[in-house]
Amino acid sequence: MSGYAWWRLNNLNEMKRYSLSTETNIAQYWLHRLLEPAVLFSGIAVMALGVIWATTLNLANREQVSAERTAAALAMDIADTYEAQIVRALREIDTTLKLVLYSLDGKSAPSVLDDLRARGMLPPEVLFTVNVTDSLGNVLASTEDLDTAQQGVATHDYYRFAQQTEGMVVGMPRFDQESNDWELFFSRRAQGRNEGAAIIVTVSVHAGYFVSSYEPDVLGEQGVLALVGNDGIFRVRRTGTAISANRKVDYETMVAVSRDVETPAKLTVNAWDEILRYTVARELFEFPLAIVVGLSEAERLAAVKELEQTYLWRAMLASLLLLIIVILLGRLSWKLQRAQFHNMEQRVAHAQRVEYLAFHDSLTGLPNRAFFSQLLTQGMNHSRRYTQQFALLFLDLDRFKMINDSLGHDAGDELLQEMGRRLNGAVRESDVVARLGGDEFVVLLPKIEAIRQAEIVAEKVLSTVSAPFTLAGQELHITVSIGVALFPKDGEDEQSLLKSADIAMYYAKEKGKNNVQFSSKALNADSLERFALESNLRSALQNQEFKVYYQSKQDMNGRVTGMEALLRWQHPDLGLVAPMEFIPMAEENGLIIPIGRWVLKTACWQNVAWQNEGFPELSMGVNLSARQFLDKGLLDDIKTALHETGMAPELLELEITESMVMYDVEQTVQILKKIKKMGVRVAIDDFGTGYSSLSRLKDFPLDSIKIDGSFIYDTIDCTGNQKLTEAIIEIGRTLSLTVIAEGVETLEQLEYLRTISCDQFQGFYANKPLPPEEFAVAMREIYLAPQARL
Amino acid sequence: MSTRLMVNMWGLLFSLLAGSAGAEVVVVVSAQNPTKTLSHAELGDIYLGRLSRFPDGTAVVPVDQRETSPAYTEFYRYHLEKTPTQIKAHWSKLIFTGRGQPPARVANDTAMANAIAVSSRAIGYLDSTIIDERLRVVAIE
Repeated sequence: MSGYAWWRLNNLNEMKRYSLSTETNIAQYWLHRLLEPAVLFSGIAVMALGVIWATTLNLANREQVSAERTAAALAMDIADTYEAQIVRALREIDTTLKLVLYSLDGKSAPSVLDDLRARGMLPPEVLFTVNVTDSLGNVLASTEDLDTAQQGVATHDYYRFAQQTEGMVVGMPRFDQESNDWELFFSRRAQGRNEGAAIIVTVSVHAGYFVSSYEPDVLGEQGVLALVGNDGIFRVRRTGTAISANRKVDYETMVAVSRDVETPAKLTVNAWDEILRYTVARELFEFPLAIVVGLSEAERLAAVKELEQTYLWRAMLASLLLLIIVILLGRLSWKLQRAQFHNMEQRVAHAQRVEYLAFHDSLTGLPNRAFFSQLLTQGMNHSRRYTQQFALLFLDLDRFKMINDSLGHDAGDELLQEMGRRLNGAVRESDVVARLGGDEFVVLLPKIEAIRQAEIVAEKVLSTVSAPFTLAGQELHITVSIGVALFPKDGEDEQSLLKSADIAMYYAKEKGKNNVQFSSKALNADSLERFALESNLRSALQNQEFKVYYQSKQDMNGRVTGMEALLRWQHPDLGLVAPMEFIPMAEENGLIIPIGRWVLKTACWQNVAWQNEGFPELSMGVNLSARQFLDKGLLDDIKTALHETGMAPELLELEITESMVMYDVEQTVQILKKIKKMGVRVAIDDFGTGYSSLSRLKDFPLDSIKIDGSFIYDTIDCTGNQKLTEAIIEIGRTLSLTVIAEGVETLEQLEYLRTISCDQFQGFYANKPLPPEEFAVAMREIYLAPQARL
Repeated sequence: MSTRLMVNMWGLLFSLLAGSAGAEVVVVVSAQNPTKTLSHAELGDIYLGRLSRFPDGTAVVPVDQRETSPAYTEFYRYHLEKTPTQIKAHWSKLIFTGRGQPPARVANDTAMANAIAVSSRAIGYLDSTIIDERLRVVAIE
């Protein structure tokens, strides 16, 4: 299809307008993009995942921090309590030591102890043992049975320390094999006795006593409760149920962790068992000892860690669920979107198809009349603006109707399609080819500078179209008649421009078809009459404006053998219109069929009427036009006419022109045979003008040939025509055909024909075509005096 | 259950051995004390400092023996089903946390008999062979 320059220009402008408005809507565009399901769902999913994980991690972190704080605070609480308990216990022990030393005051040690015990002033024996030793380390008295305690203690560290030290001494722990327990020793010497050795009082304590406040519920299995000397040696240490002692650690390092009471518990790895604990180590104010409290980090945070795990699992599960939901939703929406898109695409395609159909000819795919009208208007606007001119070519296929009728509509359609292709091939890309309907095409040539340009294109079209077609197995030569109108010279609006081109095209038809005619003012004026005539022709049959005239055929003796029916049009304004003026028009627009049918019937009816009046059996010649001859209803029409009028078939003689016969020999023979079968006679009219192949003539089932009047007219002066006439008569005789000379006007001509043995003649010499009433009168005259004029 | 059974079996074995020697640790009160029976639980509670009154409501003063005495181990093992270490741990905690004081101790069965005889509130334990008219054996059920 050709491009449409103005159409494109227009679209371009529209697009520019749209693009301008798009710029202002960038924000909306992005908003729209964000709301697209894929982006939206992904965004929501990412946000939800973010919220889930942020919440989870935050919660876990808070739980952890809270647990850590709790653990540290708990360690501090325990340490506070433990410190108070230890200090009280140590003071009680020291008080006991002082009490015993005070009570001794030169008395016997066993009696003092017994006395104190009886008074209930000694600590409970179940845990505490009080010993009194002399300056040599011998045990003087004990709350335990003497036999077990009676050994010397001079070598024991607490003894030696006590000898050297004022105040209470804390000895090293000792493991008692017998009770399988650690024992702690606290001793004090008597004050201000001698410069040398003094009496020493010792309280030995079951070591477990100092760590008995270990609550497994609070301190767990891995907690620690301990008493460590400032020498770095553990006096007692408990973890779970295990009680141990005597291990050395770096005292300074340990105590440095929390020398201040306010210092919170520190998370450290304890050196003695490599366990991470919230540890508090606090030096005692009055005693050379420090307490150690530790809470196992693993135990304290186990619950929290478990909780964190639970949170993480939940978060993972939630994430997974979310992802699945989002994926499902996304898939669903994608499907929906695709369905919508598909639906929309179909709608658009349908709309495009509808629009295409509305603006294009379905047969050839060319722009149709409506679209062409639009293009033409745009073209005119464009040309006006730039003061250009353009050409409009109006094309009409010659004899298309005949082809359509004879070869069928399918072949006609095929021909039109081929026409469309050829036209498109013959013009430039920027030219417009459109089909207005039927066999009418138009070509629009924009930006024509000289008429010559349009002429070149038109000639190219003529030559392209005239290349042979192969249609329904037959090779055809098709031609077009082209009318050219120029804008703005030949019309400033669509209608007048089209009309000018149309008139020029008709003129081309009249000029013998297959040619190009340019529109002009004279042509337009001339054509106005023609248009009036054509429109009148359509109503002429109904208005009974047609008349049949008759001209007699006579033999050489002047005897009437028959007549020829001749059509006349009695136009209400123009008077009698010659057949030459309206028959081609009727042929062109198809009116010839009903008109021909009417003539045939009228002629038959007239013939029968005359015979009924007493006329002899005269033959009746009726002309068939080319279109009529090829019409499928011809045979039926003849039958109907004969049947309805009662005309004898052998009296009817159908006259066809020589050119019609030669157009399609095979088909003509077929039709003629059928006509002959009905008993109707056939004559070839205008013989000698159609360049017919004489050799084929014998194939036609003919009865007569009629020598064209132009030969007879010249026979007297022209020897060439004489020879031809003689030859035709010779052929007729050879083929046993009746030879009739037409157009005989003079006696001279008649005499000549008589010498060359022509069978019959027809012409003004006998009588001119007459209306039926006059013809009847003339006939009677002839019959009354047959020899009078010869 | 099984530990209790084991303890009972050990107790049985021991009593058989002790029985051959004619000795058995019994719980005693003063003859003036009306208490005739105590449950194992009541006895245990009294000696572990959890119960301070007899069933009739009068105050109770438990008297203990030294660890070195044979009756001590026998009493705690048989009547309280505790080892000396457990008893130490128990009193360690109570004393250390200031929530109780253990029973006063006497040196031997004789001292025990004398201590119980003079106090109607006292309760003690001793070898059955030492029992005299001042004392009453409390049946432990």
